[in-house]
Amino acid sequence: MTVTAAPPAPVPVPPAARTGRARHRAVTFALLAPAGLTVLALVLVPLVLVVRNSFALPDAYGGIEGGFTFANYTELFDPVYLKVFGYSLGMAALNTAVCLLLGYLVSYYLAGRSPQRQGLLLLLIIVPFWTDFLVRTFAWINLLSPGGPVNGLTDALGITHGPAQWIPSQGASFVGLVYAFLPTAIFPIYATLRGVDPSLGEAARDLGCGWWRVHTRVLLPLVRPGLLAAALLTFIPTLGVFVIPVLLGGGKNQLVGNLIVTLYTEFRNQPMGAAASVVLLVLMIASVAVLGTAARRLRRRTS
Amino acid sequence: MSGRTRLTGRLPDTVTAWLARGVIVFLYVPIVVVVVLSFNDSDVTYRWAGFSTRWYGVLAQDTDLLSALRVSAEVGVVSATLATAGGLLAAMGMGRLGPRGRALFSGSLFLPLVIPEIVLGVALLSVFGTLKASLGLTTLVLGHLVVTLPYAALIVLGAHRALDPALEEAATDLGCGGWQRFRLVTVPLLKQALLASWLLCFTISFGNIVMSTFTSGVGTTTLPLRVYSLLKTGLTPEINALGTLLVLFTFVIILGAGLRQMRRVLVGDGTD
Repeated sequence: MTVTAAPPAPVPVPPAARTGRARHRAVTFALLAPAGLTVLALVLVPLVLVVRNSFALPDAYGGIEGGFTFANYTELFDPVYLKVFGYSLGMAALNTAVCLLLGYLVSYYLAGRSPQRQGLLLLLIIVPFWTDFLVRTFAWINLLSPGGPVNGLTDALGITHGPAQWIPSQGASFVGLVYAFLPTAIFPIYATLRGVDPSLGEAARDLGCGWWRVHTRVLLPLVRPGLLAAALLTFIPTLGVFVIPVLLGGGKNQLVGNLIVTLYTEFRNQPMGAAASVVLLVLMIASVAVLGTAARRLRRRTS
Repeated sequence: MSGRTRLTGRLPDTVTAWLARGVIVFLYVPIVVVVVLSFNDSDVTYRWAGFSTRWYGVLAQDTDLLSALRVSAEVGVVSATLATAGGLLAAMGMGRLGPRGRALFSGSLFLPLVIPEIVLGVALLSVFGTLKASLGLTTLVLGHLVVTLPYAALIVLGAHRALDPALEEAATDLGCGGWQRFRLVTVPLLKQALLASWLLCFTISFGNIVMSTFTSGVGTTTLPLRVYSLLKTGLTPEINALGTLLVLFTFVIILGAGLRQMRRVLVGDGTD
């Protein structure tokens, strides 16, 4: 780079360096190609195609006819479908709120234990997290069936008298959702809370803060990034769930996930299914944007 | 004064600690109940009628479930292998990129983690529909690859970044070519992470139901799809027996992958 004089004509070094750099680039490309092409061909291109299909006309068999129409979206404004979206958003918000609350509670408990105990307790949360999703869902059919274990307990306590019809119900569906997403919500909250200096809480306590204020004024603001991550990992996936409302809710109160599956497999209306998927995608992008802005504002305030 | 604040601070802490313990118990009650009821002699899952292992016998004879198990195992092995290999190559390739290229590449690699899986499934189905590809093992594997690759990348990338670059440099200085360095240095050093990645990807693929709903075809019903359709007509003790085996399988996977790898993936622990 510092050489200013014209180099003598046949120097073997620069071409070799150039082929070396070209080779380096080729190897890098070859290493990145499998994963990169997978994402390109199996994620990005398909997503573009879904957006395109959401504006297409259906053919006689429910496939894609081509053409261009907004009808698939306007049809989603039918009260039947609007109800599904409203119910889904409410259910997802409620599920997120409960998971964050319980997740914070468990994380706070975990972070206060000795390192060895923390490792053990973390393992206790990892096991249900990796346990098969369907097993964790149908486990609740066992538990909530009339005359089942929970019913036996409430009978013994005198809360119920005889077999209770708890399943299928919206309540059972909700318990199933909380149970499915709680471990997912615990990890990011715990990961952030663990990084918070415990002496901050103690200092606030010594300065006269009560328990409530220690949490709301000191700890919660510090773990907000973890709470935001947990919210993201709970809210959006809840919208796309379709197994739990069918098995525990009796299929009456549907989530967006049920709507998409029904449109694709039962109604065989692919363009409308694509439109519902795009709406879900837009909801996801919107919540990422909202949470991202919240996180950025938070960072600006703390720094 | 300080005694009083201590006291008011301690009581709620005790209460919340018990609540937290209660939540952890809550995580286990359903799993324990599945295991216990799988040994129930009754035809009705939830009414206890004595100890029996007969449902495991019924399970072993269920050819439909066993063939679904085979499909899931095959798809799991292939997609876990592809995802882990792709993750390893990507990790090595990203080490050679500049900071901006790396951010862009990892951004697109982790994109499937934030997109609802059902949308990914619908999207793939649209492509298969356009190409008029028939749904079967290949489409299942491709779908599961989409779902597992980000996890493989997450695990292998983290482990690769924690490696001391001096080790690979030393190998080069000692005359190792690219392939030798890969075989003798990089892979052995990442052995733990690669194993963890493979096992977790296999588990994710094996339990997957959302992606499989859109990518499986006639004759390639996976185990979760089969169980789901059985559950629509009602829970049987046989499914509890299957659930118990799946819980056991979870323990094996966690032991195999190692707690340290798990913690690194889930709560971002350092390599210590």
